Amino acid sequence: MTAIDFKRFFGKMAPSSLSPVRVMTKEKAIVASHINLVYRNGGEEFKALQDVSLTVKSGEVHLLMGPSGSGKTTLLSILAGLLTPTSGQVHLLGEEITQFSRPHLAAFRLQHLGFIFQGFNLFPALTACENVEVAFHLKGIHQARKKAIELLDQVGLADRCNNRPQDLSGGQKQRVAIARALAGNPQLIMADEPTAALDSQNGHAIIELLRSLAKTSGRTVLIVTHDPRILDVADRVTDLEDGKIVTKLTKAKPGQH
Amino acid sequence: MASIARKNLFEDIPRFLVAQAGIMFAVSLVTIQLGILKGFSRSTAIVIDYARADLWVASKEMVAFELTSPLPADYINKSMAVTGVDRAEILLVRAGRWRGPDGKLSPARVFGFNPDGELFAGWTLSDGTLKAIKQPYTAIVASGVQKSLGLDENRTGSIGGLPVTIVGTAEDVQSNASSPFLFSSLETANAYGDAEINSSINCIRQASGDLDCANSFKSRPLGQKNGELAPPKPLSLSDPISYVLIRAKPGQDLGQLKQRLLTALPETQILTQAEIAAVTRNYWEVRTGVGFILGLGATVGFIVGMVVVGQILYASVTDHLREFGTLKAMGASNGVIYRIIIEQSLWMAILGYIPSMGICLTLGQWTQMTRGIMILIEPSTAAAVLLLTVVMCMGSAIFAVQKVTRLDPAIVFKA
Ligand SMILES: Nc1ncnc2c1ncn2[C@@H]1O[C@H](COP(=O)(O)OP(=O)(O)OP(=O)(O)O)[C@@H](O)[C@H]1O
Ligand SMILES: [Mg+2]
Repeated sequence: MTAIDFKRFFGKMAPSSLSPVRVMTKEKAIVASHINLVYRNGGEEFKALQDVSLTVKSGEVHLLMGPSGSGKTTLLSILAGLLTPTSGQVHLLGEEITQFSRPHLAAFRLQHLGFIFQGFNLFPALTACENVEVAFHLKGIHQARKKAIELLDQVGLADRCNNRPQDLSGGQKQRVAIARALAGNPQLIMADEPTAALDSQNGHAIIELLRSLAKTSGRTVLIVTHDPRILDVADRVTDLEDGKIVTKLTKAKPGQH
Repeated sequence: MASIARKNLFEDIPRFLVAQAGIMFAVSLVTIQLGILKGFSRSTAIVIDYARADLWVASKEMVAFELTSPLPADYINKSMAVTGVDRAEILLVRAGRWRGPDGKLSPARVFGFNPDGELFAGWTLSDGTLKAIKQPYTAIVASGVQKSLGLDENRTGSIGGLPVTIVGTAEDVQSNASSPFLFSSLETANAYGDAEINSSINCIRQASGDLDCANSFKSRPLGQKNGELAPPKPLSLSDPISYVLIRAKPGQDLGQLKQRLLTALPETQILTQAEIAAVTRNYWEVRTGVGFILGLGATVGFIVGMVVVGQILYASVTDHLREFGTLKAMGASNGVIYRIIIEQSLWMAILGYIPSMGICLTLGQWTQMTRGIMILIEPSTAAAVLLLTVVMCMGSAIFAVQKVTRLDPAIVFKA
């Protein structure tokens, strides 16, 4: 176990340790094969994704990049089981989720996926702690308050437990959202432009946080981004253009353990 | 768990207050309509409720307490002869034309009963005594009708030319559906009932063939002194009576007693006190349409409330659509989200109900004191309104619930 120096990022005391996810048995966390997605609006058809195949290994920080409108969000939605592809299969943690019913998918997401959004998507009426607690409650995990405080501590916000999102900065909001995504130790974290709404400093801190979470706990992190600075922390990058994969670039892994 | 429903509700206080005002309006409307209906309904048979008879002998044609055909007076003796009857008393229900001290006419309902009896007059007197009506041409008046009778401090008037002196006031007996109530001895009530104004029509055929008619009325002079009046004659066997009130001997089976009375008294129906009260209340609620009208008011209130709550919930859900989408994306089942919306609607129901009940109870006291109109909010009415409020709020949640059911969780990634 590696202790992370959060102080470096947030000027906070570092927590002693991060709880590990159970040992991964599946080498490949995400396998998408021959995904096609056609949006139909009235009589018009739009091919948003064409024959996209993609593999993300367990414990990897994987970036999805590409110009605006290239289909990144669409692909992420499909990989997360939020959108059903027109054709093709998606395997998550060895299970073919494209076969699942909607309730089954929801149960799967609840157990294995954590989401991070560009707009944070926190509940404005709830405090930071309560926002994290919601995830624990949904998962039926007890002692939600205690665990929420632990997670907020991990992201350097232990003292912000009773603040509502309106009282937090953008970077702090995103850290609360990350704490929420970590509740219950999901093996997959999916993020859509997590730094787009943040200034460069906060953005970088968030990226580092995501990477360290992946590295220390074996989680798989899939990030959609425009942010070139994130390249530094990525293990692999997939580029999309006009709904097709154009390059697959394997990066050197910075700060590897 | 931090209640998302409650927090969402209180997030926007002005909107919450507007919503609560709408709900309170609806709940109050329903409560007042039901309360007036209950109060009215109760009053129509309250005289019966005060009686202490086990059984009532009524004409077979009886439709409601004050709408019945006469029975022969000797049914009182025949009733007494039936085994199991402990006590029997006559009740007269007569109509009279009251002329107040100001000379204005008003219809009046005169009840005749034995002031020494035990079965009829269970009400309380705010002044006077029951025995006082043994004096000829005296009556006890129901409280709340003094104004309609035009009574002044002398408390006198006349019925059909016969003088009436008020010697007491009975509390809380007047039916809201009837003429002012007067209670007299059997003899006096009988005399008032008989004291019809004589009228005759004289017609002369004109040369043209037309009839020329003159209608002449003869009533007893108003100024007549009591002393010059013969006291009312006692009830004779030929006088028609309205009801015979029966008290059964202790331990009697009322069903069997009913049968024996029916056999002994042809052309009658025998009802328990609860039955005749129910028949009477039903008559007024249905026959007069008042039940329908007040029920309609309550229904309108219910619908208004449903629309108000529905709109508020729908707006609230629309405002928080991204949050519900986030919950769905995180893997919350529809059930979890329904529970949030329903919890919110229940909060709205309870928080609308409590102040509304307070308002209605206060309003009811005020109308009772100032107008004599009873808004009767019994625990059962309050419970029924609570149930209606909950149904109303939950029913209106259906719209909002549908909106989230159709919500695509993929919206969470849309900016
Ligand atoms: N519901 C929809 N109906 C029709 N077309 C859609 C729909 N959603 C997305 N599209 C189209 O699909 C294409 C891919 O959209 P997507 O949101 O995946 O792009 P993106 O790569 O995430 O872009 P950005 O970087 O701007 O977020 C776009 O051309 C978009 O207009
Ligand atoms: Mg996008």
